Amino acid sequence: MTQLPVITPYFADKQEVVDEILGRYPDYGRRSAVMPLLWEVQRGERHINEARIAEIADIVGMHATEVKGVMSFYSTYHEHPVGKYHLQVCATLSCSLAGADEMYDYLVDKLGIVNGETDKEGRFSIQKVECLGSCGTAPVLQVNDTYFECVTRSRCQHLLDQMRADSLPEPWRERGGDNVSAEKAQPLQTPASQTSGGES
Amino acid sequence: MSDAVADKPQAITSRHDPRYQVTLYEHVGVENAWTLDYYLSHDGYGAAKKALTTMQPDDVVGEVKKSGLRGRGGAGFPTGVKWSFMPKPDGRQRFILCNGDESEPGSFKDRYIFEDDPHQLIEGLIIAGYAIQATKGVVYIRGEYHKGYERLVAAVKEARDAGYLGKNLFNSGFEFDVIVHRGAGAYICGEETALMNSFEGLRGNPRMKPPFPAQAGVYGRPTTINNVTSITSSVHIIRHGANWFAGMGPEDSRGTKLYQVSGCVNKPGVYEMPMGATFGELIHDFAGGTSEPAKAFIPGGSSTPMVPFTDEYLSAPMSYDGIVEKGSMLGTGGIIVIPQEKCIVNFMWNCIRFYGHESCGKCTPCREGVATWMPKMFQKLVMGRGEPGDLELIETMSDNIKGTGFCVHADAAMWPIDASIKHFRDEYEYIIEHGVSKYPRTTWWKD
Amino acid sequence: MVEGLGDALAMKVKVNEIELDLPAGTSAIDAVFQAGYDVPYFCSQEYMSPIGACRLCLAKVGAPRKDRGSGEWILDEETGEPKIFWFPKPMATCTTAVMEGMVIDTKCEETKRAQKSMMEFTLINHPLDCPVCDKGGACELQDRAYEYGDGVSRFAFDKRHQEKHHALSPLITLDRERCIHCKRCVRYFEEIPGDEVLDFIERGGHTYIGTLDDGLPSNFTGNITDICPVGALLDSTSRFRGRNWEYRHTRTTSTDDSSGSSIMVDSRTGRIERVKAARHTKINHDWLDDGTRFGHEYVDAPERLKTPLIKEDGQFREASWEEASSLIAERLQAASSVGVAVRADATLEEAVGAHALAKALNGAYDYYPKTAASVVPDAPQATFDDLATSDAILVISDLTEEVPIADLRVKDALKGVTPPEPMAHGIPIADLRLKEHMPKKTDILTVAGPYHVDLMIYAGRKLTYDLGHEVALLSALLNLAQGKDAEVAGLGADRDSLNPLVNQLKDSDNAVIAYGSWVLGSAEATSLVNDLAEAVDAKLLPLAPMANSRGLELIDTTGDNVLGSASALLLSNLNPAQDTQLKQRLEGLEFLVVHDCFMTETAELADVILPAKTGYEKEGTIVNLEGRMLPLTAVDVDGGGSEDLTGVVKALGDALGSRLDGRSVRSARRKLKADWEIDLAELPSEGVLPDESLSNHFQASTASSSPADVNVVIVPTMVRPEYLAYNPSLETAHGALSLRVHPDDANKYGLPVGERVKLDVSGVTRYLVVKEDNRVAPGLALVPALPEQPLGLAFADLQRAERAPLATPKPPAPVEPTLEVSA
Ligand SMILES: Cc1cc2nc3c(=O)[nH]c(=O)nc-3n(C[C@H](O)[C@H](O)[C@H](O)COP(=O)(O)O)c2cc1C
Ligand code: SF4
Ligand code: FES
Repeated sequence: MTQLPVITPYFADKQEVVDEILGRYPDYGRRSAVMPLLWEVQRGERHINEARIAEIADIVGMHATEVKGVMSFYSTYHEHPVGKYHLQVCATLSCSLAGADEMYDYLVDKLGIVNGETDKEGRFSIQKVECLGSCGTAPVLQVNDTYFECVTRSRCQHLLDQMRADSLPEPWRERGGDNVSAEKAQPLQTPASQTSGGES
Repeated sequence: MSDAVADKPQAITSRHDPRYQVTLYEHVGVENAWTLDYYLSHDGYGAAKKALTTMQPDDVVGEVKKSGLRGRGGAGFPTGVKWSFMPKPDGRQRFILCNGDESEPGSFKDRYIFEDDPHQLIEGLIIAGYAIQATKGVVYIRGEYHKGYERLVAAVKEARDAGYLGKNLFNSGFEFDVIVHRGAGAYICGEETALMNSFEGLRGNPRMKPPFPAQAGVYGRPTTINNVTSITSSVHIIRHGANWFAGMGPEDSRGTKLYQVSGCVNKPGVYEMPMGATFGELIHDFAGGTSEPAKAFIPGGSSTPMVPFTDEYLSAPMSYDGIVEKGSMLGTGGIIVIPQEKCIVNFMWNCIRFYGHESCGKCTPCREGVATWMPKMFQKLVMGRGEPGDLELIETMSDNIKGTGFCVHADAAMWPIDASIKHFRDEYEYIIEHGVSKYPRTTWWKD
Repeated sequence: MVEGLGDALAMKVKVNEIELDLPAGTSAIDAVFQAGYDVPYFCSQEYMSPIGACRLCLAKVGAPRKDRGSGEWILDEETGEPKIFWFPKPMATCTTAVMEGMVIDTKCEETKRAQKSMMEFTLINHPLDCPVCDKGGACELQDRAYEYGDGVSRFAFDKRHQEKHHALSPLITLDRERCIHCKRCVRYFEEIPGDEVLDFIERGGHTYIGTLDDGLPSNFTGNITDICPVGALLDSTSRFRGRNWEYRHTRTTSTDDSSGSSIMVDSRTGRIERVKAARHTKINHDWLDDGTRFGHEYVDAPERLKTPLIKEDGQFREASWEEASSLIAERLQAASSVGVAVRADATLEEAVGAHALAKALNGAYDYYPKTAASVVPDAPQATFDDLATSDAILVISDLTEEVPIADLRVKDALKGVTPPEPMAHGIPIADLRLKEHMPKKTDILTVAGPYHVDLMIYAGRKLTYDLGHEVALLSALLNLAQGKDAEVAGLGADRDSLNPLVNQLKDSDNAVIAYGSWVLGSAEATSLVNDLAEAVDAKLLPLAPMANSRGLELIDTTGDNVLGSASALLLSNLNPAQDTQLKQRLEGLEFLVVHDCFMTETAELADVILPAKTGYEKEGTIVNLEGRMLPLTAVDVDGGGSEDLTGVVKALGDALGSRLDGRSVRSARRKLKADWEIDLAELPSEGVLPDESLSNHFQASTASSSPADVNVVIVPTMVRPEYLAYNPSLETAHGALSLRVHPDDANKYGLPVGERVKLDVSGVTRYLVVKEDNRVAPGLALVPALPEQPLGLAFADLQRAERAPLATPKPPAPVEPTLEVSA
């Protein structure tokens, strides 16, 4: 018989992680742990393969098929490994109005990979994603878990250079409206008893 | 603001009104506002304490009813009324479920609460949980909000350690804790029943109603589901009183609300305003006006029908009924301003592609119509391959899809298409006739 | 109207112009069908939860409203009748419950338009390859598209391309392009057997069904091919074998196990092409286990015996029935003592014949396998419906393998929803009490067995007792039930966990104890289970070992240990020569006649072989484990010269010169009618459950007893082991008969995992493939039962297992007829 490689379970030495995740949910809700467990594997391995699916199925008491059904329902769980820098370009309305399509083309051009692909070195992968809730600071490029907002062409270029040098910068702070800071918002005034008056 | 009724002060309907105060976003943007120390030094958990120690659960429900708060998740259902649907406690675990899936294009108000003011949400959950006598809160936060997730989880831990979550809160005997659950990229999981499935570890398809969540929600147990901002609003209602909240906005839409502006404006972002303020006030006075000529705007998130960027529409009040009269909806209050030079057909292709991608695939009109056929029709037009009859086919298909889906997703995908055809039919006809767009501009990216 | 529901719950509903009174909770779609109207539907399916996914059943629906203030109906000003408020959108009738005064309009333009457009959407990605599709002619989509579709497609794009011949398992082929996403198959696995081995993958327009559980590990996979409304899920064994309109459809009763499940056999030009489930609302609903569904290929195996054979000079030659029967008559009359033995799936009619034949020859008649105690309980008998509605169930059996349908009915009980009452149009299409992902009430179920059986996964309480501890378990339970102290060693549970079980059984008004041959194999255990049932007031469901074990108890047997004592034997479908000792006896007999479908080890020893009909070809009656009399209807199969036992009796009677009872099905029924006052010729296809049980002639067999030293449990299998080798598809899917041992034991005894070994199991020579199974306790081996080696305990010296690389030696086919013989 051919010797199959022995697969060490991902959670073999992470019982506390499993316990913590299971512990979040009530006993009758063990199944709820499936998404956090998938997240956990993906965090560690940048994708979730079938052996891991089977392992998670065992932990939560589901069939592997069901775990796969759940996993494949979502856009952010990956079947195949993504790059060290997984670039997610929001291509939806507001970002598109701010040039996201050009940003995507730019990345494709610079990296030589398209939506869904990972480069040979495993450094970069690109995915077009839907609205990231960053419409006010469009366009947005999500690198792994981090949002880079108001990405101009030069910022994008800069980011790529930095990632190539393996030094992903801290995201710059881009806000707008009242979400900039409270200082700019109207100061708190005495409640409704005050007289109405003219424009401020 | 001319003829105020004698004894009842006129409701605040403008942010220019000096009586108006920012509450929901008071601390958003402030460094370290997400810490318990900061929150406590700004009267944090004062409202929860007030509710738990001086009010009965029914009083809290009554207060929220009286305030006129309507759900901020899109549908605008009166929050207090929803809370009162919960059955009498019968020993089963009850849940207050917070919908933080915020994925509707153009909406990003909840994100900054997660990131900058998570304790406000926790306090809201305690109040809502107390009102409906649920001892467990669940926050379902969309998977991409990683920073918000970390901040919220840290805040829950802080609150737990400091005794703001756990047993016998404020010595009232009330027990409450919060589970934070991360989504993983599926717009449909914002739909309340899909969200419950997703939370339970099932595929995120909407489920059948009845039974309604109040009867059988999460794990088949009584559940109330509310948007993040509906829940945080209750903090301020308890703190300042229902009358304060009801003193803002017109009859049908009380209180203060977060509006999100994106698209071609100079200062995009979230603005907190009293309900009833006009779109013009928001876009011109606060969002800094348009950065280039605009031809239309979407008033409340991508599923609400777009309207022309004209005074007629800009002068409409941002209230639930006010905008319905103009043929659209307030939705989540996510305003997208569309530049004159953007091809509407191309814009709508992007929009329907989004709804298609986010269809859950459960029901036929949505899976085959919204996710398959309709995007193909738009792609055909945008590629310049449109033929006579295509526009009519799009219109009849839209009619066939509306009202037939299992959940509102399919309808929500059609409303913007209908509106775009209604207001910009000429652009459709042009691209079908000429094979190229009337507005061919493709460069939007800033250097 | 459903009985038992008071008027208060009856809803007045109007469908078009038809007025109906319907119980609250009825779905609008059932109202429509009840009224004799029709709406199309794809996702709804009887016995499963309605989900409102396909949207085909949309219709315009309205209802009156009550004034909030006065509580009175709001009246229409013109008519003075309650005013109908139409819902703003068409409603999916499958997920809409009827309301007082509801009006459903299936004829209006709005309804028609909605249905037509849903049909259009359904078809845009469907390949429309009906001419090459097995489902053609029996396809719900084809029919509905014809009735409700538009005939032309406005979809001018390439259709979705997906895998067209995907083998989900060796038994089921999936064509993903044809799938219309009704979700019936996915819900089926979740809701009926509870094995979630199939699910939707991806979402939106990319959704497809698939599995990560290799080969669909479930005993009940074939049912999805019955309920798939299109040709997406097909029975691989019958793929491309014929068009639906060419098949002859025969409804009959399965003889695969003692459940008496109804089957629909599709045959064509004398061959069985496939077996489907036929609805039996009291037994199998719409379901079959895979053994029953796919275990029919042996009927058409080329090795089937089709002519009588006479042994001359150690060689068989073909012979006519006349020649064979006069030889048999002559030799049996001359024999010193004659025994006639049949297998326990023989029909009542065959048994009458066997009895009469034995009597005519002054011999003895008996049947095998025989339990140590009667399969008719002294305590009240439970039915399948009792099981499905019970709220306290104790199972002592590997139910999933022993009587698979009973496993499904236990799962009905776990839902806590009573079986639906048929309406005028049949079982409700959308039973709104059923929901997706209903929590299973596992705490009502206790499963006990000497090893981890599959059903334990669903059991709130599991008792894995030590080998042979059935008596100990039952006496402990009985003692506790009588308030006495109990010895609990070796029961896999302590007193604290057995007491709640006893209390649960006692407290319940409808407790059921289901027990199989591990209990029936011991007279003491069986008597204890009857006492326990009386003590806790439970009904009993004994799982009889074979299709007609229960019926054969009704007919007097006239001998004891026929196999071990007679000097000449006529054996029908029995193969005792697998047992080394019995083989020696058979070799020394004065005369041996074997009536069988295949050349077996025993047939090889015979002097004359008579070709036998299979259970599908017989007309006759069996009595299932509930005591229900069920008819067998003969399927049109080319069995050559084969006959059932009544045919044998006729031929031998003619040769003996006497007209024996049971020389035909009619003659046997005449006799039974005289004895029982029941006319079996009049049985309806769903059978009859007699009010009073008929007098029982059970005689325990004294033949075998458990060896002192045991290390083997003989376990049930869903497949029929005696035919597995001739059922290639089923054998591929299910795997050959196996020897299941713990990996440590495989190691210890050097058993070659995955390979076939020859092993002596308490005297019976068995050919088994070694399988490792973590759930089997070390020191224990599991071996599947044969009719000749029934459930129980045995001993095998595992050290002495020999490799037997070839398949179970299939006995040679009979020699070709020589020219002289036929001349
Ligand atoms: C397709 C779809 C997506 C939705 N997405 C969200 C969402 O992201 N966030 C949200 O709060 N509500 C969303 N909703 C609305 C919810 O179903 C629900 O009405 C809301 O959470 C109720 O909270 P509220 O009463 O506080 O508004 C969505 C609804 C639909 C049909
Ligand atoms: S309308 Fe779309 S999202 Fe809603 S259930 Fe149907 S397929 Fe799913
Ligand atoms: S929606 Fe499929 S049958 Fe009603």
